Amino acid sequence: MGNACREMKTENSDIKIEIKDVRKVFGKDASSVVALNNVNLKILANKFTTIVGPSGCGKTTLLYLLAGFEQPTSGQIIMDGKPIEKPGSDRGFVFQDFALFPWRTVLGNIMFGLINNGYRKKDAREIAMEYINLVNLVGFEHAYPHTLSGGMKQRVAIARALAYNPEVLLMDEPFGSLDAQTRKYMQGELISIWENLKKTVVFVTHSVIEAVYLSDYIVVMSARPSKVKGILKSDLPRPRDFVGDDFLALRKETLGLLEEEVQKEIKLDSL
Amino acid sequence: MIEEYRTYLPEAKTVLMKDKLLKYGQFLFPFLVIGFFWEISARIGIINVDTLPAPSMILHEFYSLVWQKGALQRHLVHSLYRLFTGYILAVVVGVVIGTVLGLHRIIREMFSPTLSLLISVPTIAWIPVLLITMGLGGKTVITAIFLGGVFEIIYSTIAGIRSVDRQQINAARIMGVKGLGLFCKVLLPASLVYVMPALRLSIGYCWRALVGGEMLSAMIEWGIGKMIYEARFWNNIKVMFVGLIIIGILGVLLDRTLLKRLEEETLEKWGMLAER
Repeated sequence: MGNACREMKTENSDIKIEIKDVRKVFGKDASSVVALNNVNLKILANKFTTIVGPSGCGKTTLLYLLAGFEQPTSGQIIMDGKPIEKPGSDRGFVFQDFALFPWRTVLGNIMFGLINNGYRKKDAREIAMEYINLVNLVGFEHAYPHTLSGGMKQRVAIARALAYNPEVLLMDEPFGSLDAQTRKYMQGELISIWENLKKTVVFVTHSVIEAVYLSDYIVVMSARPSKVKGILKSDLPRPRDFVGDDFLALRKETLGLLEEEVQKEIKLDSL
Repeated sequence: MIEEYRTYLPEAKTVLMKDKLLKYGQFLFPFLVIGFFWEISARIGIINVDTLPAPSMILHEFYSLVWQKGALQRHLVHSLYRLFTGYILAVVVGVVIGTVLGLHRIIREMFSPTLSLLISVPTIAWIPVLLITMGLGGKTVITAIFLGGVFEIIYSTIAGIRSVDRQQINAARIMGVKGLGLFCKVLLPASLVYVMPALRLSIGYCWRALVGGEMLSAMIEWGIGKMIYEARFWNNIKVMFVGLIIIGILGVLLDRTLLKRLEEETLEKWGMLAER
């Protein structure tokens, strides 16, 4: 039941993050690239929002702005009434290539955020073990990341980002480097974890199927310089059936929106 | 669990006793062969033992230096004390300077010609200058050791800091880590990929500086370099050879027992060796 709409129509109280007229330019003068132009978006609390767009459209840039790794050239990003200025532990981030600390064990990686947010070692350990349990890694707590498979590494990364209980979880194509089987499995895992914790998630992907499978809201970005092209709402029941009629309809609708942009991007590239 | 995984198996690394013996045998064999022919040549008179003493004579000298005079231990204690003082100083200062230069582009560009200039000066060339500025004692030797090791460590730390994965830094920052915490918990372990080989290389450079420094510093009495140098006055070539062999053996031992172990306990255990 995807009905395309320009705005997420809800009461203000539900808005977790508001992106206002954000513009991001990389570089200076002639070599500068406008990654984002005039992006306006409201991200709702406790919802799973996915951002899709043609490659190179600035999805990741937008996520980096939300994380505070980068600053917008102009415009504002407001989270709970306060502008986001720097990275902070009210947010968690899951990277495409995991970015685990190879010198720490699985347990050590997950405890990292807890220790740095003032938990005592004993408590941190206990909480970390809970999350190891949540992501199905019991028995691997003392293993070093290099001994794990890609899917397991990404589960460590998810547990690490969740353990210190951030309000918002930002995920940058977290399953992009996994093989198809593992990816599908991880999508299922992620949704069941999310249904448990009901956090605000902003998930960047270039896969429409992934977006339709996971999201409450799918934000389609336009080609560079990108802005929000459209937002699709999905209230299909979970776990979703990849070949259900409603699923396919929403997928088609999303693809329709995206297709035009991909065409534009290709034209831009071939100029 | 659906997916495949590589199991973590530390047991797989356990080497059998037999393999271990074989390994030591392999290591010792060339020395035994060389020693054997050396000894034979000396006995039958091919070699003049006044200029090149036989291994048995060197061993005997070693025995008398250790058990009769008790001198060798004393030389070694002094040398090792100087070596570690200078080396640790070089590591600490090198890592700090390297980190600052690695993090700040402008400072790095400002000082990199100076560094290139300094690293190309052989350590031994510093010693006459140090003898005047720091005196003829142990301080000069320690400073020479420091200079011998510090530049290698600065260079590698710069490379290490610059190689740290941006994402790992971002991951730490979003978990609320910054400043000194970021340095200790992320930058330092991550840059060890580059710093570790420098630690191994530079202890060798420090060794060389130590021996050279001890030979040239008139006021010091003890030290393995001093021992070799003093033997010249008595024309005691056997003592010189004891010194040379001890320096070689200790160099290998320091690397194998201390630094290689350190590498095994860090980079190898963390699977970071392949990254280099």
